[in-house]
Amino acid sequence: MTSEKSRSKRIVARKTPGGRVSVRRVARKPEAAKCAECGKPLKGVPRELPSKMRNLPKTAKRPERPFGGYLCSSCMRKLMVKKARE
Amino acid sequence: MIEVGRICVKIAGRDAGRKCVVVDILDDNFVLIDGSTRRRKCNFRHLEPTAEVIKIKKGASHEEVAKEFEKLGLPVWNTKPKPSSERPRKQRGKRKKAGQEGSGKDEKKKGKKEPAVKAEASKDSGKEEKAESQSQPPEQEGQSSEEQQDGSPQ
Ligand SMILES: [Zn+2]
Repeated sequence: MTSEKSRSKRIVARKTPGGRVSVRRVARKPEAAKCAECGKPLKGVPRELPSKMRNLPKTAKRPERPFGGYLCSSCMRKLMVKKARE
Repeated sequence: MIEVGRICVKIAGRDAGRKCVVVDILDDNFVLIDGSTRRRKCNFRHLEPTAEVIKIKKGASHEEVAKEFEKLGLPVWNTKPKPSSERPRKQRGKRKKAGQEGSGKDEKKKGKKEPAVKAEASKDSGKEEKAESQSQPPEQEGQSSEEQQDGSPQ
């Protein structure tokens, strides 16, 4: 087991049913997904641990549009306009 | 720029990147589109017009649009959903009766009687018996015809 003092975990104060405040160590979540073009955080992509992401349905992990989960909506729109004008 | 018959590219949402044609102009903001996208109401800000214009009537049906699109060599989105196939259910030897009861409960909820019949047929895995099961419920004509449609592509 890893040490309880490990820096890889986040400290969270939780109230127990007995009214006591105890300290819990919770796994840190990964960074939010970012747009590959502009770097804005993507909406519709949950910020969860890989173990939790694995059990989510595909439709819950990214928007249902071309380049969903890779480009933000505005960057995708610009790309589509560019393609259409070629 | 936006007019009936104008070929556009959808630039937003699930159908982004697909070509469509303006079938009707609904108001200042919205148009009715059809073609490689689903036939639907669409804000024209979500469309990028191209130079092409085809000759169609205002409010043309999906079939008319499909014909024109075939001439252009573009794919057509048929809005009719795929025939729903029977969901595979795990069959356990000992709990077979329990499973049947469970499926019966589902029928009551959904109000459909076919799945159980189909399931029984699939258990026995015989084509002849499937055919029999189709002939068995003559009361529900609409549903039985659906079943035949389901069966024909398979
Ligand atoms: Zn972006």
